Amino acid sequence: MNTKTFLTLLFAIFAGVWAGEAKPLSYVGGTMVMQENDETGHTIALDYTFTPTEAFGLYIKQEENGKDIFMLTPELNTLLKRWNLPDGQGNIFNMSGAGVANYRGNNQPSLWTAFLADYESRRFFFSYEPRFVWDGDIEKSVWQRARIGIAPYLANYNDLNTWIMFQVDHHPAKHDHFVATPLIRFFYKTYLFEIGYSSNQHIMVNWTIQF
Amino acid sequence: MRYVLLTIISLSLCSVAAAETIKATVNGMVCGFCATGIEKTFKAQREVKTVNVDLQNRLVTIHTKEGETIDDAKLKKLIGNAGYSVVNVVREKS
Repeated sequence: MNTKTFLTLLFAIFAGVWAGEAKPLSYVGGTMVMQENDETGHTIALDYTFTPTEAFGLYIKQEENGKDIFMLTPELNTLLKRWNLPDGQGNIFNMSGAGVANYRGNNQPSLWTAFLADYESRRFFFSYEPRFVWDGDIEKSVWQRARIGIAPYLANYNDLNTWIMFQVDHHPAKHDHFVATPLIRFFYKTYLFEIGYSSNQHIMVNWTIQF
Repeated sequence: MRYVLLTIISLSLCSVAAAETIKATVNGMVCGFCATGIEKTFKAQREVKTVNVDLQNRLVTIHTKEGETIDDAKLKKLIGNAGYSVVNVVREKS
């Protein structure tokens, strides 16, 4: 494989998977509650942003569609790189947690780390997130998520924002390796709400409140 | 001479007591959800009377209280803390 072919392939992979959810950081002094209910289970995270590049919080997840693992970990979200552009913003974040996982009464240490790369303009949205989880002898898994979105109209600050989005999850450790979820995102000021329906027939309901 | 002095003093007092309108052009500000950080950050400043975010024109407009101002360094720091970059600042006394 020559260099040009390699770079073309790399770009195609990169462009194909880049897309996100709500960013894991808000403004300095801001607190954010995020709740996700999707085909992977139920998640709630509470984060406080204490520097322009760091937020600290609590992450709780009840996994489903596989082993029903309960995870409870403090988490640290870090902005690794940001590009502020005239018509958009790109970010790379790391989110990591260390705590405890429980499966059928078996408590194990839980460690996880994820990277979130996103780019957003007023019209388009892309994100990609690989996640690595180690729950002692309960489970070790790699999971990745890509999302793409388009805004059907350009909303201003005080308007209701609407996004039509498409999400693909890949989790090799579970029954459905690839899961596709079309969804609609709404947000208004500090409230974000998403609803979708996955290819493995789960309803997705996510919300985020920033205060 | 007395009139000249009174005029200078009056103008000085007007200048000191004037409020300011600061218009900052900001890069990276693309969504209302994110721009809320800017609004909340500035509303928490004692110098600020009102703040307005215009996504279409990438503009943050800050009206200060009378006799108050926010210098460029502080403006850039506050907008930076909210996650964005200032590329231009225009000031008007009012």
